[in-house]
Amino acid sequence: MSPTAAIQEMLAEHGYVADRQVVMSVYLAQTLERPLLIEGPAGVGKTEVAKVVARALDTELIRLQCYEGLDAHAALYEWNYQRQLLHIKLDEKSQRPLAEREADLFSEDFLLKRPLLQAITQPVPPVLLIDELDRADEEFESFLLEVLSDWQITIPEIGTIRAAARPHVILTSNRTRELSDAVRRRCFYLWIDYPEFDKEVEIVRRKVNGIDIQLAEQICRFMEKIRMQRLEKVPGVAETLDWAKALVALHQHHLDLEVVADTLGIVFKDQRDVAQVKQSLAEFLEGLGVRAKLAPER
Amino acid sequence: MNHKIDDIALHGALSANVVGFCRLLRAQRAGVALGEEQDALRALAAIDLSDPEDFRLSLRTVLAKTPAEQKLFDALFDVYWSVWDRAGELGQPQPESSASEEASARRPGKNGLTSVRDWLKQGEPTEEEREAAGYSPIEVHTKRDFKDFNAEELEEIGRLLQAIARALATRFSRRYRPARPPGRLDLRRTLRASLRRGGELLDLSYCRRTRQKPKLVLLCDVSKSMDLYSRFLIQFMYAFQNAYRRIETFVFATSLHHVAPLLRGNDLSAGLDAIAAQVPDWSGGTRIGAALETFLSEHADLVDHQTALLIVSDGWDTGDIEILEESMRALQRRSRCLIWLNPLLGSPDYRPATRGMQAALPYIDLFAPAHNIDSLKALVGYLMTLRGATAAQYLRRRPEPPAPTKAQPAAPTRDDWFRRFGVQP
Repeated sequence: MSPTAAIQEMLAEHGYVADRQVVMSVYLAQTLERPLLIEGPAGVGKTEVAKVVARALDTELIRLQCYEGLDAHAALYEWNYQRQLLHIKLDEKSQRPLAEREADLFSEDFLLKRPLLQAITQPVPPVLLIDELDRADEEFESFLLEVLSDWQITIPEIGTIRAAARPHVILTSNRTRELSDAVRRRCFYLWIDYPEFDKEVEIVRRKVNGIDIQLAEQICRFMEKIRMQRLEKVPGVAETLDWAKALVALHQHHLDLEVVADTLGIVFKDQRDVAQVKQSLAEFLEGLGVRAKLAPER
Repeated sequence: MNHKIDDIALHGALSANVVGFCRLLRAQRAGVALGEEQDALRALAAIDLSDPEDFRLSLRTVLAKTPAEQKLFDALFDVYWSVWDRAGELGQPQPESSASEEASARRPGKNGLTSVRDWLKQGEPTEEEREAAGYSPIEVHTKRDFKDFNAEELEEIGRLLQAIARALATRFSRRYRPARPPGRLDLRRTLRASLRRGGELLDLSYCRRTRQKPKLVLLCDVSKSMDLYSRFLIQFMYAFQNAYRRIETFVFATSLHHVAPLLRGNDLSAGLDAIAAQVPDWSGGTRIGAALETFLSEHADLVDHQTALLIVSDGWDTGDIEILEESMRALQRRSRCLIWLNPLLGSPDYRPATRGMQAALPYIDLFAPAHNIDSLKALVGYLMTLRGATAAQYLRRRPEPPAPTKAQPAAPTRDDWFRRFGVQP
């Protein structure tokens, strides 16, 4: 079996329907020990890749969620000041030499490890997911680049901590801003788009228990067509799955006008989209071959 | 034995071709770096070379780092490696140079600079220019809109522009400064202060993040087609310059002029005189692309990732569209956000269909009308809904490029832009 086929099987085993590009980039990132940058529209399963890889490798997933204003402290480490203060108070009466007490104060016990430090101090290489890097600011990006290339972190009071084992790094971005060229060039790249019809049906069938094949196909046909429309927020795979689960819970075996109109809120997360789709829903469904009236009696 | 020699020969030829392919990508403006050539070779060593699809996907993972680069990669891959296929049949590897020549011969377009020279030689108005001059519905419309502003209105414009500047330009720094509560507890200063009281924590200090005030750059089109709006434009520039200090203002028609120093500190009429003396081509032809290119080459230091860029223009470009597109791409990459205010967008029949506007549209973060006070109000309202301080970042949430296989959605109409604003046209 080729090495890529092994990865494909591994991902499939943990419930991820991967095409060859996904498999290849995960494989190369693993083999050549490089970070993997995943981009694509919201809700196509970028984060899911990291989760599945962690599950498949049976290793820990350490997640660093980026946000505007994320700084080195929140990503690396902080001293637990409150605990240090308590410790000083408790230790006031002690006869131990000062140097010893001070060394205590700056030992690992008082260190709050944030995701990056946590990731490089694991004995078994974890999966480090740096999620939505585009939300953090550029300063943080360059700082991150430094950590990702040196794999060591210096804490003045303790010294330099080198990575015990290099984590598998996966970065995601929603492209709200361009990432710097340095980051891009450092990483391998994977663009995940909305899935093709067949792939989406496969995903729905795997993820939603007890779904009717006819319903799954209708749902995916609907999604495929609706994504071509101009929408404020294009629904992703996550919405497809939510909708499928909801319809199964409602004991539906096929789409009809009424139930679609009632459940539009699950698919569209913007009031204007709901209104727009609702307006032309009957026509739209007809175009998909879904009858406006309830299905005839069998 | 023979096998081994074949292997070495094949690998040698393969790596030479991979390097050649990287060069081809670089020549087509994919930023493939030297390190990535090595990555490509290492990747090929790690995969099953007998599978052509694996071969393609591995190179794609390593070499194409943006959707645009992936597109370029897909377009070039077959062109380049089909030569390699033929080499296999011939039994000897083809030199890579012929392949890249063949591919570069397919490169569309010509050198941008020569076309500018061509244009200069022509000198006569093009169809677009004539069309713009005869755009009568707008004329009526704008004459109604742009009566002289009275003092009250000017003040209002000033306020609106200030709000725009605030929404676009504030962001949080990573530094903290002392603050009154509520804020984040500043343990360092709290401890420091406690020493005065023998280590008892009586006074708590707080801190909060400083707000940085990044720059705004305003580029105003003052060509002939914008004549109808020039009164408004001048007010706009003047009010903006006074509402927000860290703004650099440029005007352009056929060439680019830095007018910020002229507007700064002067009153309006003195500023106007100074501009009149300095800008000879006011109401001239339009070459937006060339003006933006000049801006990029001479004033690029004014634009960094904290700069919000505002272009006010109707998008009638009689220059080289390729230059316009190239400059827009560069500006969009460099800036924090790029806003294009188009006075024509205020007219009900307007579609951004001119070649210039079409070329520029993909790189614009926000495309908005700006022809009267109401449109500015709508703009402020819209920016405010984007969570104020991070508005600029939210603007960058552009629609994803559609996959090549899917049907292209129709180009957005004026009503769509209004819908985005949440205002009734």
